[in-house]
Amino acid sequence: MAVHPILLYPESLLKSPAASLSLSDPSLPSLIQDMVDTLDDSPGVALAAPQIGYSVNLILVDVARKKGERGHGQVLLINSRILHQNGLRIVREGCLSVPDYTGNVRRYEQTVVEGTTPDGRVVILTTSGFEALAFQHEIDHLGGILFLDRIESLSTDLFRRRAGPS
Amino acid sequence: MDRYAMLTAFGQDRSGIVAALSEGLYQLGCNIEDTCMTRLRGEFAMMVMVRLPAALAPDQLAARLAPHTAPLGLTVLCREVPLQATALEPPSEKPIFMLSVYGADRPGIVAQVARAVADHDGNITDMNTRVVGATDRPVYVMILEIQLPAGRGPESLQEALDRLKPRLGVDITLRAIESVRF
Repeated sequence: MAVHPILLYPESLLKSPAASLSLSDPSLPSLIQDMVDTLDDSPGVALAAPQIGYSVNLILVDVARKKGERGHGQVLLINSRILHQNGLRIVREGCLSVPDYTGNVRRYEQTVVEGTTPDGRVVILTTSGFEALAFQHEIDHLGGILFLDRIESLSTDLFRRRAGPS
Repeated sequence: MDRYAMLTAFGQDRSGIVAALSEGLYQLGCNIEDTCMTRLRGEFAMMVMVRLPAALAPDQLAARLAPHTAPLGLTVLCREVPLQATALEPPSEKPIFMLSVYGADRPGIVAQVARAVADHDGNITDMNTRVVGATDRPVYVMILEIQLPAGRGPESLQEALDRLKPRLGVDITLRAIESVRF
């Protein structure tokens, strides 16, 4: 049981795709406990294993830590992936691993996530709103993707012009 | 102690301006901190916050850059930035809104909308305006990003904007941008 420091970019591990994880991995129980302890000790609502130094496909999302949010409560998923997403929106996003910066990113309002729970059940979760954003952000971490990779220049989008004089 | 300068550069757009400007700054030992650049039609416009080397005074910067910028026809202005204004800011917790205003072009749209925002203690943190549409029927489009004071809802600003709509003959949409940190 340990609270780990949350890695900050430019830690290279944050840009590396995470390896898939075996349920029989002997280190899994202690890693799960460390994830829970670290999230409990942080101001955040979600964490991906690479953020605490383990490049494996494990995320913890618990949006109920934020006032007014419930979602699915505490969710630990191994080998998670996004099956489907729907409803584009722009969100101002920040990340514990990239302090002091936020940017507008394109996300989805609904996200369907598949993964395996620590007790071995394969689950499919339909998430929406804040919880859907959390899953998208954490599953990005598993692919070595930071929100910085998804920044949208809103003004460019809105005002994209034909090249040359019109 | 570090000294900082704000540099603005503008001139007719062409390829190579950013390269020439940044090479000039690099060769003078300046460090580019934060930058914003855009084009207004065919005009290039850039603002750069620069950390200066010890031997270079802010009022010397524009002249020392001239060998790089003059051949491109760039106008360059510099002034020192107070140290306290250069500190990195943590992300604001204030609610963020996007305000879209558009309609037939006429004088006073920007002034009256910006006044309404200011009267509601809103801070305009980003702004883009364009004249678009057909030449004989120009349409004015303005997109503002606004921060309202913490805990302040958008209702009273929304009401003020609704009153402006018929006066200015524009459509106005105010919408919240959700801000999240994971």
